[in-house]
Amino acid sequence: MPNHDDRHAAFLDRVQRGEKIEATDWMPDEYRIAMVKFLQMHALSELMGALPEKEWVPRAPTLARKLSLMAKVQDEVGHAQLILRVAEDLAAPLGKGREELVAELFTGEAKFHNVFHMPAPTWADAGIIGWLVDGAAVVSQAALLTSSYAPYARVLQRVCAEEGFHIQHGESICLALAEGTPAQRQMLQDALNRWWEALLLFFGPPESNSPSAAVLFKYRFRTKTNEELRQKFLTKYVPRIWALGLTIPDPQLRFDEEAGRWVYTPPDWSKLKAIARNQGPLSQYRLGLRRLSYEQGRWVREALLAPAAQAV
Amino acid sequence: MALGAHPRFRVYEIFVQKDHQSPHVWVGSVDAGSAEDAILLARESFLRRDPAVSIWAVEQSAIHRTDYADRDFFARETDKRYRTLAGYRAANAERWRKYRRELLDLERDFVRD
Ligand SMILES: [Fe+2]
Ligand SMILES: [Fe+2]
Repeated sequence: MPNHDDRHAAFLDRVQRGEKIEATDWMPDEYRIAMVKFLQMHALSELMGALPEKEWVPRAPTLARKLSLMAKVQDEVGHAQLILRVAEDLAAPLGKGREELVAELFTGEAKFHNVFHMPAPTWADAGIIGWLVDGAAVVSQAALLTSSYAPYARVLQRVCAEEGFHIQHGESICLALAEGTPAQRQMLQDALNRWWEALLLFFGPPESNSPSAAVLFKYRFRTKTNEELRQKFLTKYVPRIWALGLTIPDPQLRFDEEAGRWVYTPPDWSKLKAIARNQGPLSQYRLGLRRLSYEQGRWVREALLAPAAQAV
Repeated sequence: MALGAHPRFRVYEIFVQKDHQSPHVWVGSVDAGSAEDAILLARESFLRRDPAVSIWAVEQSAIHRTDYADRDFFARETDKRYRTLAGYRAANAERWRKYRRELLDLERDFVRD
């Protein structure tokens, strides 16, 4: 039986050679803990990400828009379920179950993505979320399709495929507004102004030196830095935004040909700190909504548990 | 070791058959209190868009599995070309070449008939 240090070194060697890890493999606690934390945050962000748009389901302008928005919201909740399932298998040896992974959102122990702490006051916000927020999500999730943790990478294939639909749905809303009346165009421009900083904050600060991020890089769970992902996002979406004749609210924004990168006015990174303490613009409001649906859904969870309890 | 999940829920592995010409394919797993619920949850989780003709839900604990670490079990120590198309195709094509003219003439005859 190899000792712990040997096993750890062999594991590190495996992931650094590009080998994939399965749930039943031995893994160092450091890896397991970092993965659980990441997956828990991803799952909860899918769940919380459904809320800003769910607010628009009853107010969607047409039946067709209501159907597509409902389908998208349902997908996001479905993503949360798929990812929670992966997280559970990893968390079980740590003595944590599904219930705890979900409930830690309410105690603040578990976070949800910074972008879902922002308000969505108009229908154009629903469009911008579908097009650009989901666009940003796909940029970061696609970079994880080659992640060292195979069960997560497998689930991401389905998630990314469905995100493709979300982006088309968001583009469809934004294109309709861009080609609409002056008031509709203005509503779209206002929504873009509102979301631009949030879209830059989305990927996190350029030099993320957090110890948990370092662990994810070390074990090849992720390989692209925050800044690389943000640049990728800008390259894909800035030309499209400009092509619609919209103005990006940053006079400094330009592509530096020589450096081969986008130059932009840095967002106010300190906002991320407030959001991490659930003190963002709508943090408490959305947590309240989540708590409400968690409580209102309790009888469903208990009903689903009943056959298991009888069978044991 | 049975994999995780809430102690009271059971994990069901889900297999979906998209049409009668295709085999059931594993798509993921769900937590459920019963096999019946697992099938319902599987439909909601995996078939919101894709058509299907059948779902299997198998309790995870019922699955017998190989160990990923046991690479010897899957070792292919011998050359397997003698079992495959690739083991014969190139050499056969080479040999057919000298019958090409006869083959073309014969085929033309058949088509004319
Ligand atoms: Fe999603
Ligand atoms: Fe999405």
